[in-house]
Amino acid sequence: MTLLDIENLTVSFPQHDGVVQAVRGVSLRVAAGESVGIVGESGSGKSVTCMAALRLLREPPSRIAADRLELGGIDVLRAGRAHLTAVRGRVAAMVFQDPMTAFDPVFSIGHQIVETIRAHRDLSKSAATVEAAALLARVEIKHPDAILNSYPHQLSGGMLQRAMIAMALSSRPQILFADEPTTALDVTIQAQILHLIKQLQAELGMALIMVTHDLGVVAETVDRVVVMYGGRVMETAPVQDIFDAPLHPYTQALMASMPGRTPGKQRLVEIAGASPNPANPPTGCPFHPRCAVADAHCAAEAPAFRALSDTRAAACWRLA
Amino acid sequence: MTPALELKNLSKTYQLRQSGGFFARSTDHLAVNNVSLTLPRNQILGLVGESGSGKTTTGMMAMRLVEPSAGQILVGGTDITALGHAALKPYRRKMQVVFQDSYSALDPMMTLAQIVAEPLHIHGLGTGAEQTEQALDMLVKTGLDHSYGNRYPHELSGGQRQRVAIARALILHPTVLVADEPTSALDVSVKAQIINLLLDLQAEMGLSILFISHDLSVVRSLTDKVAVMFQGRIVEEATTETIFTDARHPYTRSLLDAIPVLNPRDRRARTFLTRAQIEAATPRLSGQDGRPELLDIAPGHRLEAIR
Amino acid sequence: MIRYILGRLASILLTFTVVSVIVFLMMHAVPGGPFDGNDMPVNDAVKAKLNASLGLDQPLYVQYFKYMWGVLHFDFGIPFQSPGETVLDLLARAWPPSLILGGAGVLIGAPLGILLGMAAALRRNTWIDYLASAFATLGLTIPVFVISMALIMVFAVWLNWLPASGWGKPNAWVLPIIAYAAIPMATYARYTRSAMLDVLNKPFVTVLRAKGLSERRIIFQHVLRNAALPMVTVFLPMFIGTATGSIFVEAMFRVPGLGAYFVSSIELRDYSLEMALILMITMMFCLAYLISDIIYALLNPRIRFGERK
Repeated sequence: MTLLDIENLTVSFPQHDGVVQAVRGVSLRVAAGESVGIVGESGSGKSVTCMAALRLLREPPSRIAADRLELGGIDVLRAGRAHLTAVRGRVAAMVFQDPMTAFDPVFSIGHQIVETIRAHRDLSKSAATVEAAALLARVEIKHPDAILNSYPHQLSGGMLQRAMIAMALSSRPQILFADEPTTALDVTIQAQILHLIKQLQAELGMALIMVTHDLGVVAETVDRVVVMYGGRVMETAPVQDIFDAPLHPYTQALMASMPGRTPGKQRLVEIAGASPNPANPPTGCPFHPRCAVADAHCAAEAPAFRALSDTRAAACWRLA
Repeated sequence: MTPALELKNLSKTYQLRQSGGFFARSTDHLAVNNVSLTLPRNQILGLVGESGSGKTTTGMMAMRLVEPSAGQILVGGTDITALGHAALKPYRRKMQVVFQDSYSALDPMMTLAQIVAEPLHIHGLGTGAEQTEQALDMLVKTGLDHSYGNRYPHELSGGQRQRVAIARALILHPTVLVADEPTSALDVSVKAQIINLLLDLQAEMGLSILFISHDLSVVRSLTDKVAVMFQGRIVEEATTETIFTDARHPYTRSLLDAIPVLNPRDRRARTFLTRAQIEAATPRLSGQDGRPELLDIAPGHRLEAIR
Repeated sequence: MIRYILGRLASILLTFTVVSVIVFLMMHAVPGGPFDGNDMPVNDAVKAKLNASLGLDQPLYVQYFKYMWGVLHFDFGIPFQSPGETVLDLLARAWPPSLILGGAGVLIGAPLGILLGMAAALRRNTWIDYLASAFATLGLTIPVFVISMALIMVFAVWLNWLPASGWGKPNAWVLPIIAYAAIPMATYARYTRSAMLDVLNKPFVTVLRAKGLSERRIIFQHVLRNAALPMVTVFLPMFIGTATGSIFVEAMFRVPGLGAYFVSSIELRDYSLEMALILMITMMFCLAYLISDIIYALLNPRIRFGERK
C-alpha cells in the first residue's frame, strides 16, 4: 500500500530577485513499512519536499503544485485545515533537525507531549500523561516522570531529540519523516538516535523517510535511497546498489569524494564548482556544469527521470 | 627542530554562576584540564572530541584568544603565555585561525581583496598597491581568480567564503594555523575541495595546522596525528593510523565505533557506553586506585591510564 | 530570588536618594523663588519674612534634610500655591481624576492594542495589517492634544454626543479616556505585532503544526504565551506614566487632575510640591520595573528553574 504518493511536485518561493524553484518536478512513492533515505545538499530540495508533503510551508509566499500529493490516501493538496490537522501527527509525523529549538520554551516537555496525544485522541489529561511517560520510556529515557516535568532548556540535545521522537510517535503515525535528526548532535549521540529510530521503525512497522546530507546516515538506516540535486531527483535505488554501483554521475562523484574511505592522509576526489543557485538554476540537467561527462545535450535539456530496472531509476542522458 | 606550537599543562577554569534556589552560588568548571600538546612543523594535528570536551577552548588558548588559567604556550620555542599586547603582535602574525562560520567572520561591507589584504594593513606591511596585489595572489592560491577581488562576501557560496577566510589567514604566511571545524558547515560536495586546499597549502607553505573537528572521517583523510579530548582532558594521542586501527582508550573506541558505516554491508549492532562506564573503563596499569595520567605506551602513542 | 529582590530594593533606595539630591539642587539652582512672581509683587522685607517662615532662609543642606526627614514621616510639606492644605491633601484631591481617566485609558487601550497587533500579525501583509499599522503609527505620532481637539470637534461639536469637558458627570469622562488610550493602544499594537511575528517564525511553531494541533491552539496557547513574555514588562511603567495625568489632555478637557501641577509647581517655585511629585513618580517607576521583572521571572521557566547543570 502506498502511503506517500507524490507526482510531479513543484515548490517555488517568490523573492526580491526572482522566483526560487526549490523543488522542480519531484515524484516519490513510499509504501507502508518502507524506509527511504532522501540524500542531498543544502538547496537540493529534500527538506522542502517533506515540508510540502505535510503542507508545513507558509503559503503564500511559497507556492505548491503537483499532479498528485497524497498522504495515506488523503489528497493533501486540496485538504482543508481540519483535514490537515488530522493528517499531521496521525498519518505522518515529523522529527526535526535542531531539538534545542523544536520545543516551546515556556511549557514543560510533558505538557507538549500530552497536548499532542490529546489533539488526536479523546483521552483524559491523566491518562495522556501516563501514556506520555510510557512513550519516554520507549525512547529509552531513564526517568520519564522527571523528564515530563522538565522544561526544554534543562535538557541536553540528545535527550530532547529522544523526547521529540517520543512526541512524534505519540499518535502512532504510519509514516515518520526525520529531517536531519542527528545533524545537530555529537557522533556518539547520533549513533544512539539512529539506532533508536531504526529499532522503533521495525517494531512499529512505520514507514520512515530519513532526510540527510550524510551518506553515512543513509548507509546505517534505510533500505532505499533517493538522491536529490538542484530541486530534482537524480537517482533512486536500493541502498546497497547505491553504494556498490552508483549510476548517476552526481551520485558517483558524491561517493568518490567521501572522506575517510581509505586510510592515510590524502587528497580527496573533489567535485568542482558549487551547488546551483536556486534563484538562477542552470539550464538542462542541474548537475551538468559540474559533471565530468556532460555534453551539449545535458546543458540544453533536462533528462527525464526513467526506470533502468525494476528497482532503479535515474535522470541522466548518459544512462539512456 | 623546535615544534611549531607547544602547549604545556594548559588549563582553563570558568566560573559558573548557578541560578535557581535562594542563594546564587558560583562553582568552578574546569573546561580544559592540564592539556599538553605538541604540533610539529609541517604537520597537521587533529584535535577531536564531542561538544563540551574543551577542544575549541584549547585552540583559542593556543591563539591567546582565550586567556589560560594555568600552563604555557610556546610558539617556535618562545613562551608567549604572558606577553602583553604589543609584545604579542609579531607572534600574532605567525598564528592565524579559521572558523566554522566564515560568513559572520567576513565584513559584509568590504570587497574580498580588502578583506584578504586587511591583515597586511594592520601589520603595516607594504604599500596599498602591494597589499592588493598580494591579496589577489592569495585569492588565486585558494582557488578564486582575480575577478573575485572586487566582489562582496554575500555573492559567494559557502565553500568560496571558506576559501576567502583561508586566504586571509594565510596572507601573513603564518607558521601555525588553527582551523576550528572549517568544513562542518559546508556541503558534502564542497567539503573535499576545502580539505584538498588545506592539504595543498600546508605542503606548499610549510604550515603546521591544529585541526579541531568532530568529524572523524575528515580527520582520517587530513591529519598526521590525532589527540582525543574527553571532559577537558586529553585521553589518547597517536598517529592517525594508530588511532583508527589500534585505539586503546574506551572513549576513543566509543567515538570510533559511533562513526556511521561507509557501506550498508557493514551495518552492525553497537553497544553504547555512558560517561560513567567510560570513566570506569579507563585503563589501569595496577590494581590500585589513583589519578589518571597520560602515559607513553609506545613511541608517539600516549594514553590516559591509572598507574 | 529573595536575595535578588533585596538587592534591587537597595538599589531603588540609592536611586531615590540620588534623584532627591539632584532634583533638590536643580530646583534651587533655578533663579527666583516662590514670591518673585510679577502678578503679586511683595517688598523685600515681606519676602524675607515669608521666606523665613517657610524655612527658605536656611542653608540648602538643612532645608534638604528637613524635607527628607519629613518625607520619611509622610510629611511632604505645604504647597505654596495652595497654602490652605498639605501636599498630601492636594494629591488626594487632584490625583483621583488622573488615575481614573489615565488608568481607564491604559486598561482599555492596552487590550485593544493587543487585539489589533494580533490581527495584524496573523493577517500579515493584508489590508488588516496595513490598517492596524497605520492606526498605530498615527497614535504614536499625532500629539495627544491634537487627538483631544479632534475628539472634541467630532463628538462634542459636530455630533453633539458627549460633553466637551468637565468632570462632574461620567459621560464627560469618555473623550479624555479615549485620548489617554491612544498611546497605550498604539504602543501595544506595534509591540504585539512584532512579538507575535517573532514567535511565529520560531522553529517550534512548525513543530506544533506538524504535530497536528489546531491553528487556534497554536496561536492562543503557544504563540501568545511566548509573545506575552516581553509584553507584560511594559505594562506597569506605561500604566504609571499615563495614570499620573497629562497636562495636555487635562487642559483640553478641563479635568481637575494632577497633570497641571507638574508644570505649575515648577513655574511657581513650589518646592515642596515639586519634590513630592518627582519623588513619588520616581518611587512608583522603580517599583513598577521591579514588579515587572519579578513577573517576567515567574513566567519564564528559564529563570524560574535555572539552567541545566
